[in-house]
Amino acid sequence: MPFLDIIVFPGLLFLLFLAFFCEWLDRKAVAKLQNRVGPKHTGPEGILQPFADFIKLLSNEDIIPAAVDRIMFSLGPILILTLSLMPLFLIPIAGSSALVWFEGDLIFIMFVMTLRIIITFLSAWSSTNRFSMIGGMRVILQMLAFEIPLTIAMTGPAISARSLSLSKIVQFQASEHLLLLAQPLGFVIVTICLLAELRMVPFDIPKAKTEIVKGWFVEFSGKKLALLRLTEDFELVLAASLMVSLYLGGPIGPWQTQSVLYFFTKLVICILILSNLRALFARFRIDQALKGAWKYLTPLALIQVILVELMPMVIP
Amino acid sequence: MMKLKWRDKWLERKAIEITVQQSRRVFVTVSQDDFRKTMERLVKIKGFTQIATITGVDIGKEIEVIYHLKHKELVLSLRTRTSKKEPVIPTIVDLIPGSALYEREVHDLFGVTFIGNPDLSPLLLPEGWPDDVYPLRKKWTSEIIKHKLEGS
Amino acid sequence: MSTFRIPFGPQHPALKEPINFTFKVDGERVVSVKLRLGYVHRGIEKLAEDRTYTQNIHLVERVCGLCSQAHVICFSQAVEEILGVEIPARARYLRTIIAEMERIQNHYMWLGFTAHEMGFETLFMYTWRDREIALNMVETITGKRVNYGINTIGGLRRDLTAIAVNPVKRGLDQLEDRMKYYKKLCMTEPTILKRTVGVGILRPKDALRFGAVGPTLRASGIKRDIRFDDPYAAYEEASFNIITYDGCDVASRLLARCEEVFESIEIIRQMLDNLPKGKVRVRVPSQVPQGEAVSRVEAPRGENLHYLRADGTDKLARLKMRAPTLANLLPLCKMFENMNIADIPMIIAGIDPCIACAERMTFIDTENRSTNSWTGDELRKYSIGWYEER
Repeated sequence: MPFLDIIVFPGLLFLLFLAFFCEWLDRKAVAKLQNRVGPKHTGPEGILQPFADFIKLLSNEDIIPAAVDRIMFSLGPILILTLSLMPLFLIPIAGSSALVWFEGDLIFIMFVMTLRIIITFLSAWSSTNRFSMIGGMRVILQMLAFEIPLTIAMTGPAISARSLSLSKIVQFQASEHLLLLAQPLGFVIVTICLLAELRMVPFDIPKAKTEIVKGWFVEFSGKKLALLRLTEDFELVLAASLMVSLYLGGPIGPWQTQSVLYFFTKLVICILILSNLRALFARFRIDQALKGAWKYLTPLALIQVILVELMPMVIP
Repeated sequence: MMKLKWRDKWLERKAIEITVQQSRRVFVTVSQDDFRKTMERLVKIKGFTQIATITGVDIGKEIEVIYHLKHKELVLSLRTRTSKKEPVIPTIVDLIPGSALYEREVHDLFGVTFIGNPDLSPLLLPEGWPDDVYPLRKKWTSEIIKHKLEGS
Repeated sequence: MSTFRIPFGPQHPALKEPINFTFKVDGERVVSVKLRLGYVHRGIEKLAEDRTYTQNIHLVERVCGLCSQAHVICFSQAVEEILGVEIPARARYLRTIIAEMERIQNHYMWLGFTAHEMGFETLFMYTWRDREIALNMVETITGKRVNYGINTIGGLRRDLTAIAVNPVKRGLDQLEDRMKYYKKLCMTEPTILKRTVGVGILRPKDALRFGAVGPTLRASGIKRDIRFDDPYAAYEEASFNIITYDGCDVASRLLARCEEVFESIEIIRQMLDNLPKGKVRVRVPSQVPQGEAVSRVEAPRGENLHYLRADGTDKLARLKMRAPTLANLLPLCKMFENMNIADIPMIIAGIDPCIACAERMTFIDTENRSTNSWTGDELRKYSIGWYEER
């Protein structure tokens, strides 16, 4: 595993730029849908705006309130950033196998995503703000509800590929067919759950700014806020690339070709899907979101898994 | 005096003055002692269950308090007077719960005490406002209040 | 988890103006609420006593940016009643037209604001885009987008030009089309329904007990509208319906306001078609005889009441203004009972609050410093000094 791969391509730097690009794409797409212009002035069509925002936030004063638990409060954003960056190394971006891969890395990704949410809760709790606490509680509640259908639905591709490795799943799709065609229901469930994981409208309940003032974000400022904003971008990339890898065949193109360009195109499509959904709805209330997850998504995910098991018997 | 569509013999006996400004506006003046009884009658028997607002007016030695009551299209302004030295008026919150904020407002700005109102905490004036400054009394012109607050 | 108190305001993203609610919550449920006003006092009632009637026209207009026409009509009516002047028919019609346009732009703005509160940014952007049509129409007639400055005691200061009629009619058609779409959206879009139906219940009995006004009252199923009950300007000559809904919740308030826009559009069309010819203003003396008057107007948010007392000079003795928001605050506290934290912004938005309207009396800010006579320069100096001291 060469050093250059980790640092430049498809490692840290590439992911950083991809994250900023995705934020720009998301902002621009939502702006278009909402009849606005969106970022315009920094760089061509404002493409450098997320980067400028990041730099500007880094230079802002970093306020640590007197009442917070200093260690957790300072550590939180860094941990969250690391934990959201880590799974990205397991995603096959340039070729059909990822930078790091091993049998069972899908479970590892799920584990890291859950860990990230627990850290989120802890840093929310450590900031001792009432709005943060409510936000933190909502984060945990939402995780409990959406992690389960997400995990169940994600076993669908794993069962088809007979492997718990993301790279193997991509390789399976290269040799057989795209899993989107076989498991459209799973794709829909994963998309909805990922919206909730990303805390995007209609599931931006933990950080609803008109209700609880950005929720668990509220006490973070300066560098910490910059890191958290960057985390959100990485999460967006992670969510979209999970959709790409699990259902759309990652960097696999037609006629068995492989290129990062295919991955990139699919990523853009997935982000546009997420942005479109984000612009379409109003925010749910926490109880409504949870009810929806338990009542509809979990059973549907189970049905999808059963269908995956039964399919080979019906169509040999 | 215009012809009154709405009449009440009892009120006409009690009232110091009744003016009918136009077909939908009536002004009634009663003494401080009769006020509570009149209000009860208007609310319970005559159906003036809604209040638009309470106005305080500084008229020299006394403070005039005007209750603008609503009944369908009619606005009846019931007024009473209380001495400026010790301005007290029985509350009407128990009769019309909607008057709570208006009583607090008049309390803030004119210093009228509404006897029986459970919550007369400041609604509009900031914390640390001097006790004896009632901004809408004529004595307190803008300059004097400014002077007093900057001096303190 | 035991209960804890959440401060809501005076600075909060859901509130566009400062007001403070202190909520006691148990988990996500609201147990009780306490209210504190007083963050945007400008002392307009006190200021009004130092000014002449003509100056007061402009002062009263600035009580509220959105319902300036309602306040100024209310004030001029009170003065006209004491003076005993009858304003020309054309002026009455034009006042009605502008008042209704104000209602349209206010309801459009409110719809967007409510959408923003429930996290529906797209609807917010769309309604505010379409509100521009209404603002442009007002600009065509009065020359300004807000604080129109067209009213005066005894009529209007400017007449409607014939050129303005056609653009206004076209604008009305557009606004009607768009509002039809938004109404359909509000009735069918599942996330909107989820957030509004059954939220912020105000039973008709409570609405009357606590004295709710305007669309808030009408959405609780009570047919009361000053335009109809106590007609002023040219409303007696117009035919329109009073919109009531009996859902008593935010959804009803949403739909009631949407439909009020259709009624307003209808009223403006009737007014434009039957606009009488003639003068728009009668000259009035600058001194007003002794007397008093109560004047009521249906502002976009509800009943607006002015009490005026004149003492025979060119300055008034007492002007009391009661804006609709103050009347709706107690019903608002009632609506919070047993609701979710998530519903708080929706419920607040439901009454269409305008805090600056609700408080106009004092003129000192909370820092015990007078601000009434500060110019922009002084304010700047003060802020620079404040930072240096720090």
